[in-house]
Amino acid sequence: MSFQEVIKFEKVTKDYDLSRLKYGLLVDTFSGLFNIILRRQQKSINNKFVALKDVTFSVSGGETLGIIGRNGAGKSTILKLISKITYPDTGKITAVGRIGAFIELGAGLHYELTGRENIYLYGAILGMKRKEIREKFDDIVNFAGIRKFLDIPIKKYSSGMYSRLGFSVCAFCDPDILLVDEVLAVGDASFQNKCLLKMEEFRKSGKTIVFVSHNLDAIKAICSRVIYLEKGKIVKVGKPKDIVNFYLSRVEIKN
Amino acid sequence: MSIGINPTKEYFAELWRFRELYYALTVREIKVRYKQTTLGIGWAILQPLALTIIFTVVFSFLLNFGSGNAPYPVFAYSALLVWTFFSNAITFGSLSVVTNGNLVSKIYFPRELLPFATITASLFDFVIASLIFLLMFFYFDLKITPNLFYLFLIIPCIFFLTSGLSLILSALNVIFRDVRFILPMALQVIFYATPIIYSLNNIPDKYHKYFALNPLAPLIDSFRDVTVLGQKPDLLPLFIAFLVSLIIFIGGLIFFRMKEKVFADVI
Repeated sequence: MSFQEVIKFEKVTKDYDLSRLKYGLLVDTFSGLFNIILRRQQKSINNKFVALKDVTFSVSGGETLGIIGRNGAGKSTILKLISKITYPDTGKITAVGRIGAFIELGAGLHYELTGRENIYLYGAILGMKRKEIREKFDDIVNFAGIRKFLDIPIKKYSSGMYSRLGFSVCAFCDPDILLVDEVLAVGDASFQNKCLLKMEEFRKSGKTIVFVSHNLDAIKAICSRVIYLEKGKIVKVGKPKDIVNFYLSRVEIKN
Repeated sequence: MSIGINPTKEYFAELWRFRELYYALTVREIKVRYKQTTLGIGWAILQPLALTIIFTVVFSFLLNFGSGNAPYPVFAYSALLVWTFFSNAITFGSLSVVTNGNLVSKIYFPRELLPFATITASLFDFVIASLIFLLMFFYFDLKITPNLFYLFLIIPCIFFLTSGLSLILSALNVIFRDVRFILPMALQVIFYATPIIYSLNNIPDKYHKYFALNPLAPLIDSFRDVTVLGQKPDLLPLFIAFLVSLIIFIGGLIFFRMKEKVFADVI
């Protein structure tokens, strides 16, 4: 277990340009160009949504950090920034080590391919080597409980089998930093339990976890430290119990 | 991740680290493309073959187009082989980032792998379709000459040109979905602006300079020269096409890199 900082956010700000969130239209760009040429004022000036504002924090190796807050507070944006899916407008982000993510299971699965083919494909997407997948193949299949259906296209799978397959590959990808986003929202009770047990296992083996959830009990059970976010800003950082209570009181006042 | 002393070196080091994913995505592309089709990989052959038959009937049989010393079917097939690769790779390649939108917005990997995987899958089709080309060689009793060695220059050029354009178009398509509608029209124009169904020899000399604007024209023309006709290609246009292809390829890599940071936000 190492105590050096593995994730570091320094004054990170991230805006989403609302007008650009929609599909870009060639017409918009050309009219924009015209406006620039004619030195006209752009019609929309304040069309920005601030997802994160001046966020600074760090995570040490082996720590389990929880992030809570209302919808749209910027929780998922933090995870996306850590894994380099999206980039900050200002500020600096450092993340050291292999990053694995339990985010929306199955994003990398392909309906037309068989379970077996998908295990190799999804493993590769999560950064595993073929040799590594081959070694863990049986474990993955057993964990997912899909041995009988290995060689049929997964479009024939039930949604439960589908998410179990996705989760199992994730569970065996062995990252240094694990990002978990609301996986507990899907799946039945036994699936949720499996997720939590696996996270517990990760924690015990000294991995770093960043956990985003609305399941406050799970946050209290697993995390060593919690950040509370409100409208893209860090409002409070501290022990899980304190922060969860603080969050609940904030929500109550607003209601 | 910190920016190292040599960003270019780091860029290629990262691509190298993800080589297994490149392989997996390519395999997926090949498998998925022909899943649930009865003919399967046979389509890789049938596409250029069917076009060859159509064009032979229309342009050779009915309109009596000249094809030099070679029989028209093999004359047309040699060019359609390259054309099918070019147009398929660019069509699938330009869509590759958008079709994989859920991956792009959820998981990190070098996004270049998506267009490259589709191009490699098209290259695989190209190899399969080349087998028929070989059979035609024997059937029409064509000569095998040392000029075939020029293929080691021509095929990489075609690959660079196709990849460069796919990189640029796939990135543009994320931001402007109009690309999807413009592309089929553009391909149609390029098809007729390239000596595929006709030979450059049928074109009056004074127009030849305009073909220099289209890097695909000398590439397809040379490909046909060294294979079917067994003659030396025109070296100057080929050399210019080589330079243009290389510039488009490097430009495409740089352009894609510049745009890819916003992919997840816009897609």
